[in-house]
Amino acid sequence: MQTLWKHARVSNNTLMVVQCDGPLDPARIARALERFLDVCPWPAARLRRPFPWGALHWAAHSRDALIAPPVRHRRLPAPEALHAELEAELNLAIDPRHEAPLRFAVLDSVSDAGGPQSTLVVTWFHPLMDPRGGQNLLAHLTHLDETDGRVPWNGRPPAFATDPDPRPLKERGRLGRQSQRYMRALVPVSPVSPGTALATPGRARFVQASFVGEDHGLGGVRSTREICWRLALVGRTMADLWRRRGLPDSPFLVPVSVDLRPKGEPGATFGNVLAFHFARFKPSDTGDVVALTRTLREQMTDTLRDGQIDASAVAMEFLKYRPASLMLRDLPGTARRETFSFNCADLADFPPTLEKLFGRRVVNAYHAPSVLPRPGVGVFFNRCGIRNNLVVSWVEGATNEAEVARIVEGVREGMGWRPVR
Amino acid sequence: MSTGNLSRLDPEEVAKAVTEFINATIMARSRPVRPDDDLELAGLDSMALLKVLLFIEAHYGFWMPDEDLVADNIRTARAFAAYICRRSA
Repeated sequence: MQTLWKHARVSNNTLMVVQCDGPLDPARIARALERFLDVCPWPAARLRRPFPWGALHWAAHSRDALIAPPVRHRRLPAPEALHAELEAELNLAIDPRHEAPLRFAVLDSVSDAGGPQSTLVVTWFHPLMDPRGGQNLLAHLTHLDETDGRVPWNGRPPAFATDPDPRPLKERGRLGRQSQRYMRALVPVSPVSPGTALATPGRARFVQASFVGEDHGLGGVRSTREICWRLALVGRTMADLWRRRGLPDSPFLVPVSVDLRPKGEPGATFGNVLAFHFARFKPSDTGDVVALTRTLREQMTDTLRDGQIDASAVAMEFLKYRPASLMLRDLPGTARRETFSFNCADLADFPPTLEKLFGRRVVNAYHAPSVLPRPGVGVFFNRCGIRNNLVVSWVEGATNEAEVARIVEGVREGMGWRPVR
Repeated sequence: MSTGNLSRLDPEEVAKAVTEFINATIMARSRPVRPDDDLELAGLDSMALLKVLLFIEAHYGFWMPDEDLVADNIRTARAFAAYICRRSA
């Protein structure tokens, strides 16, 4: 289905934006990247598929032939220029067949207090790693920077990718087919999205806002911190959008990513370490957010109970054998060239271990992924210190700045957050 | 599946069982939790917490209702155990 936009250079970029309290030295970052390639080639890899058939995979040359990803350095004329730079990064689509799957940029500007400051931007081709993987990569580079001149990790580098699933192919095949059947039966009708009628997608855009405010209890698991509550709240803002657009009250279909890394350790950096649960609810169900949260939690519980999270993880592994044009066909609703109603994810806390980067203190950090033209809009949460970051990504033509502002305000109000002063 | 005579549950044994489940299925091997560790600080997210609830359902025969999913009952493995024993008494 993505052949719809084959010639539109749709971006699969994702950004991690880290604002620091002083200027960063790009040479230190480039040096850490070079040292990283000594132990792990994937930042310099290319995406390959064997001819005539085989699995998509990352391929890298020997160390001598590896070229580190670029680290660009730019002084911005004014702090207001930062957002335009970030959106340009999002739209300059990485083609991982012909270039490194990630790149770095150090953008210097002047802080509100008048001092110099840098923003580190890590841009990567989305399937290379997930947000936690991006944070892990930054942690590894920071470690290499701190141990420059010494042996990093005491000579025992961590694992940078997950081990292959040890289960026999027959069992994995059974689980993959189980997931396929489950997904195909999830929704009776294809979902609609703000991007449904979009023939020619515009640029990828995003807004980011930071708020403060504690999570509070609502008589449920983790209360406002819980993904089900946040999804229900975002669903309510989307229902408003649906009403204004006159879109039908057919069920929303929303993928909810599940991080498969064991808790308590950073885990893998590269590759897919996610499974997916698919939430279903109607726009008209969003009036009572607390009740909808319970419903979404029950759906998630049933998915776990039925083993569908494990099956989804296995199915994701088989996707790499699919031609790109068919990859999304197995997902619910995509037989009719739809994907989801919208994207929503909580990318959790920026790790406190990344409080300092390359000698500078981290002031704030957030992720801004591009979204596909269908659904054309996504809402992403994360937290850095006391800051609750909210990012809304969209594709021009699917929605617009005024509608996105309503989404931001609706979520802020529902969360009980206040703007950062 | 119930463990049998729920009225005689030993809080220490239950805390141990919940802790072992969390360490075996959720935590990294090198980062086990202890019965009094804060589970949110240990990294348990919404999905991990649901796994614990499913464990309780399978081993102690009941589902924790939403209104009982408050911090006092779910903060630590020992808090879960105290709740399970109260509920089973």
